[in-house]
Amino acid sequence: MATQPLDAFQVIADPSRRQILGMLTKDTYNINSLAQNFNMSRPAVSKHIKVLHTAGFISIQEIGRERHCILKQEGFNELKSWISHFDDFWNGKLKNLEMALNSKSGI
Amino acid sequence: MKTEIKHNWHYDQSVEEIWEYLTKAELMEKWLMPNDFELIVGHEFKFTTNPIPSLSLDGNFYCKVLEILPLKKLVYSWKGGANKSEPTLDTIVEWTLEAKENGTELRLIHSGFKEENGPIHAGMFDGWNKNIQKMLSHIKPN
Repeated sequence: MATQPLDAFQVIADPSRRQILGMLTKDTYNINSLAQNFNMSRPAVSKHIKVLHTAGFISIQEIGRERHCILKQEGFNELKSWISHFDDFWNGKLKNLEMALNSKSGI
Repeated sequence: MKTEIKHNWHYDQSVEEIWEYLTKAELMEKWLMPNDFELIVGHEFKFTTNPIPSLSLDGNFYCKVLEILPLKKLVYSWKGGANKSEPTLDTIVEWTLEAKENGTELRLIHSGFKEENGPIHAGMFDGWNKNIQKMLSHIKPN
Protein backbone atom coordinates (compact mmCIF):
# COMPACT_ATOMS: atom_id res chain seq x y z
CA MET A 1 0.00 0.00 0.00
CA ALA A 2 2.43 2.65 1.19
CA THR A 3 4.87 1.86 -1.57
CA GLN A 4 2.35 2.78 -4.23
CA PRO A 5 2.64 6.32 -5.52
CA LEU A 6 -0.19 8.44 -4.15
CA ASP A 7 -2.46 10.45 -6.37
CA ALA A 8 -2.73 13.94 -4.91
CA PHE A 9 -6.31 14.19 -6.09
CA GLN A 10 -7.17 11.13 -4.06
CA VAL A 11 -5.21 12.38 -1.08
CA ILE A 12 -7.14 15.63 -0.81
CA ALA A 13 -10.43 14.45 -2.26
CA ASP A 14 -11.30 12.96 1.12
CA PRO A 15 -13.21 15.43 3.35
CA SER A 16 -11.64 14.10 6.56
CA ARG A 17 -8.17 14.62 5.17
CA ARG A 18 -9.09 18.15 4.07
CA GLN A 19 -10.41 18.79 7.56
CA ILE A 20 -7.18 17.54 9.09
CA LEU A 21 -5.16 19.87 6.84
CA GLY A 22 -7.54 22.72 7.72
CA MET A 23 -7.01 22.12 11.43
CA LEU A 24 -3.26 21.98 10.96
CA THR A 25 -3.22 25.40 9.26
CA LYS A 26 -4.18 26.79 12.67
CA ASP A 27 -2.25 24.64 15.11
CA THR A 28 -0.24 21.47 15.51
CA TYR A 29 -2.02 18.46 16.95
CA ASN A 30 -0.97 15.12 18.25
CA ILE A 31 -2.73 12.15 16.75
CA ASN A 32 -5.00 11.60 19.75
CA SER A 33 -6.23 15.19 19.88
CA LEU A 34 -6.83 15.14 16.12
CA ALA A 35 -8.79 11.91 16.47
CA GLN A 36 -11.10 13.45 19.08
CA ASN A 37 -12.47 15.77 16.37
CA PHE A 38 -13.70 12.96 14.19
CA ASN A 39 -16.47 10.41 14.41
CA MET A 40 -14.19 7.57 13.51
CA SER A 41 -11.81 5.23 15.25
CA ARG A 42 -8.33 6.31 16.13
CA PRO A 43 -6.81 3.73 13.72
CA ALA A 44 -8.97 5.21 10.94
CA VAL A 45 -7.66 8.70 11.72
CA SER A 46 -4.12 7.31 11.86
CA LYS A 47 -4.60 5.88 8.41
CA HIS A 48 -5.59 9.30 7.02
CA ILE A 49 -2.60 10.85 8.75
CA LYS A 50 -0.35 8.24 7.22
CA VAL A 51 -1.70 9.07 3.77
CA LEU A 52 -1.12 12.81 4.29
CA HIS A 53 2.33 12.14 5.65
CA THR A 54 3.32 9.84 2.80
CA ALA A 55 2.05 12.37 0.29
CA GLY A 56 4.19 15.09 1.86
CA PHE A 57 1.41 17.33 3.15
CA ILE A 58 2.42 16.98 6.78
CA SER A 59 5.38 16.01 8.89
CA ILE A 60 5.21 14.01 12.10
CA GLN A 61 7.44 14.88 15.03
CA GLU A 62 7.87 12.71 18.05
CA ILE A 63 7.87 14.80 21.21
CA GLY A 64 8.23 12.56 24.24
CA ARG A 65 5.72 9.79 23.80
CA GLU A 66 3.44 11.85 21.57
CA ARG A 67 3.46 12.13 17.84
CA HIS A 68 2.64 15.64 16.61
CA CYS A 69 1.38 16.44 13.15
CA ILE A 70 2.66 19.61 11.54
CA LEU A 71 1.59 21.08 8.23
CA LYS A 72 4.46 21.28 5.78
CA GLN A 73 4.04 24.96 5.16
CA GLU A 74 7.30 25.39 3.31
CA GLY A 75 5.89 23.17 0.61
CA PHE A 76 3.05 25.56 -0.01
CA ASN A 77 4.75 28.91 0.34
CA GLU A 78 1.45 30.70 -0.15
CA LEU A 79 1.80 33.24 2.61
CA LYS A 80 5.24 34.15 1.41
CA SER A 81 3.93 34.74 -2.08
CA TRP A 82 1.29 37.15 -0.74
CA ILE A 83 3.77 39.08 1.33
CA SER A 84 6.22 39.35 -1.51
CA HIS A 85 3.44 40.36 -3.91
CA PHE A 86 2.30 43.23 -1.71
CA ASP A 87 5.85 44.21 -0.85
CA ASP A 88 6.57 44.76 -4.55
CA PHE A 89 3.13 46.26 -5.06
CA TRP A 90 3.66 49.00 -2.46
CA ASN A 91 7.18 49.67 -3.60
CA GLY A 92 5.87 50.31 -7.11
CA LYS A 93 2.98 52.43 -5.86
CA LEU A 94 5.19 54.60 -3.65
CA LYS A 95 7.42 55.23 -6.66
CA ASN A 96 4.30 56.18 -8.62
CA LEU A 97 3.41 58.64 -5.89
CA GLU A 98 6.80 60.27 -6.21
CA MET A 99 6.32 60.62 -9.95
CA ALA A 100 2.80 61.95 -9.55
CA LEU A 101 3.95 64.53 -7.01
CA ASN A 102 6.93 65.60 -9.07
CA SER A 103 5.01 65.93 -12.31
CA LYS A 104 2.42 68.04 -10.51
CA SER A 105 4.98 70.48 -9.13
CA GLY A 106 6.82 70.54 -12.43
CA ILE A 107 10.16 69.19 -11.15
CA MET B 1 7.75 34.25 9.68
CA LYS B 2 7.33 37.79 8.41
CA THR B 3 3.68 38.82 8.62
CA GLU B 4 3.81 42.50 7.79
CA ILE B 5 5.24 44.84 5.20
CA LYS B 6 6.94 48.10 6.03
CA HIS B 7 8.06 50.87 3.72
CA ASN B 8 9.61 54.23 4.50
CA TRP B 9 9.76 56.81 1.77
CA HIS B 10 10.98 60.36 1.68
CA TYR B 11 9.24 62.91 -0.50
CA ASP B 12 10.35 66.46 -1.23
CA GLN B 13 6.80 67.77 -0.92
CA SER B 14 5.08 69.04 2.21
CA VAL B 15 2.98 66.95 4.55
CA GLU B 16 -0.12 68.80 3.27
CA GLU B 17 0.57 67.77 -0.32
CA ILE B 18 1.25 64.12 0.55
CA TRP B 19 -1.89 64.00 2.69
CA GLU B 20 -3.97 65.15 -0.29
CA TYR B 21 -2.57 62.33 -2.39
CA LEU B 22 -3.44 59.84 0.35
CA THR B 23 -6.97 61.07 0.94
CA LYS B 24 -8.51 62.43 -2.28
CA ALA B 25 -9.97 59.72 -4.46
CA GLU B 26 -9.00 61.33 -7.78
CA LEU B 27 -5.43 61.93 -6.59
CA MET B 28 -5.14 58.42 -5.08
CA GLU B 29 -6.12 57.01 -8.45
CA LYS B 30 -3.12 58.70 -10.06
CA TRP B 31 -0.62 56.56 -8.19
CA LEU B 32 -2.55 53.78 -6.48
CA MET B 33 -5.79 52.46 -7.99
CA PRO B 34 -9.29 53.61 -8.98
CA ASN B 35 -11.32 53.93 -5.79
CA ASP B 36 -14.27 55.58 -4.06
CA PHE B 37 -12.46 56.68 -0.93
CA GLU B 38 -13.86 59.37 1.35
CA LEU B 39 -12.09 60.84 4.34
CA ILE B 40 -14.68 59.74 6.89
CA VAL B 41 -14.11 57.23 9.69
CA GLY B 42 -16.27 54.18 8.97
CA HIS B 43 -16.55 54.91 5.24
CA GLU B 44 -16.43 51.71 3.20
CA PHE B 45 -14.71 51.90 -0.15
CA LYS B 46 -13.15 49.77 -2.82
CA PHE B 47 -9.95 49.71 -4.83
CA THR B 48 -10.15 48.01 -8.21
CA THR B 49 -7.38 46.46 -10.22
CA ASN B 50 -6.78 43.40 -12.39
CA PRO B 51 -7.49 39.96 -10.91
CA ILE B 52 -4.47 37.99 -9.69
CA PRO B 53 -5.54 34.34 -10.04
CA SER B 54 -2.27 32.92 -8.69
CA LEU B 55 -3.01 34.60 -5.35
CA SER B 56 -6.78 33.93 -5.40
CA LEU B 57 -7.53 37.65 -5.65
CA ASP B 58 -10.38 38.92 -7.81
CA GLY B 59 -8.91 42.39 -8.23
CA ASN B 60 -11.15 44.17 -5.71
CA PHE B 61 -9.88 45.35 -2.37
CA TYR B 62 -12.63 46.09 0.12
CA CYS B 63 -11.62 48.71 2.62
CA LYS B 64 -12.99 50.69 5.53
CA VAL B 65 -11.56 53.83 7.06
CA LEU B 66 -10.58 53.00 10.63
CA GLU B 67 -8.64 56.01 11.87
CA ILE B 68 -7.92 59.56 10.74
CA LEU B 69 -5.42 61.92 12.35
CA PRO B 70 -5.33 64.79 9.87
CA LEU B 71 -1.89 65.27 8.29
CA LYS B 72 -0.44 62.60 10.57
CA LYS B 73 -2.05 59.22 10.24
CA LEU B 74 -4.55 57.27 8.16
CA VAL B 75 -5.59 53.65 8.75
CA TYR B 76 -7.90 51.46 6.70
CA SER B 77 -8.74 47.79 6.51
CA TRP B 78 -7.76 45.98 3.32
CA LYS B 79 -9.66 42.84 2.42
CA GLY B 80 -9.68 40.77 -0.69
CA GLY B 81 -10.13 37.29 -2.05
CA ALA B 82 -11.71 35.27 -4.79
CA ASN B 83 -15.05 36.96 -4.05
CA LYS B 84 -16.48 39.62 -1.79
CA SER B 85 -18.44 37.44 0.61
CA GLU B 86 -15.46 35.44 1.87
CA PRO B 87 -12.32 37.56 1.93
CA THR B 88 -9.22 35.46 2.37
CA LEU B 89 -6.95 38.45 2.74
CA ASP B 90 -7.88 40.40 5.85
CA THR B 91 -5.26 43.02 6.55
CA ILE B 92 -4.67 46.59 7.75
CA VAL B 93 -2.96 49.43 5.90
CA GLU B 94 -1.52 52.19 8.07
CA TRP B 95 0.01 55.41 6.77
CA THR B 96 1.93 57.84 8.95
CA LEU B 97 3.39 61.15 7.84
CA GLU B 98 6.15 63.11 9.48
CA ALA B 99 7.34 66.55 8.45
CA LYS B 100 11.06 66.71 7.78
CA GLU B 101 13.20 69.76 7.10
CA ASN B 102 13.28 69.08 3.38
CA GLY B 103 9.97 67.34 2.86
CA THR B 104 7.97 64.48 4.32
CA GLU B 105 8.68 61.01 5.55
CA LEU B 106 5.86 58.65 4.68
CA ARG B 107 5.66 55.33 6.47
CA LEU B 108 3.50 52.43 5.41
CA ILE B 109 2.73 49.35 7.48
CA HIS B 110 0.62 46.67 5.81
CA SER B 111 -0.06 44.12 8.55
CA GLY B 112 -2.23 41.18 9.51
CA PHE B 113 -1.08 38.55 7.01
CA LYS B 114 -2.00 35.30 8.71
CA GLU B 115 -1.73 31.65 7.87
CA GLU B 116 -5.38 30.95 8.46
CA ASN B 117 -6.64 33.56 6.02
CA GLY B 118 -4.07 32.89 3.37
CA PRO B 119 -4.70 31.30 -0.01
CA ILE B 120 -4.02 27.87 1.51
CA HIS B 121 -7.21 28.23 3.46
CA ALA B 122 -9.12 29.64 0.50
CA GLY B 123 -7.95 26.78 -1.63
CA MET B 124 -8.99 24.22 0.90
CA PHE B 125 -12.47 25.42 1.60
CA ASP B 126 -13.58 27.35 -1.50
CA GLY B 127 -11.93 26.77 -4.78
CA TRP B 128 -9.91 23.72 -3.87
CA ASN B 129 -9.59 22.57 -7.42
CA LYS B 130 -7.88 25.76 -8.50
CA ASN B 131 -4.97 25.01 -6.26
CA ILE B 132 -4.69 21.33 -6.95
CA GLN B 133 -2.22 21.70 -9.78
CA LYS B 134 -0.05 23.90 -7.61
CA MET B 135 -0.21 21.41 -4.79
CA LEU B 136 0.54 18.51 -7.07
CA SER B 137 3.89 20.04 -7.84
CA HIS B 138 4.71 20.01 -4.13
CA ILE B 139 3.96 16.36 -3.61
CA LYS B 140 7.16 14.55 -3.04
CA PRO B 141 7.65 11.36 -5.00
CA ASN B 142 8.00 8.33 -2.79
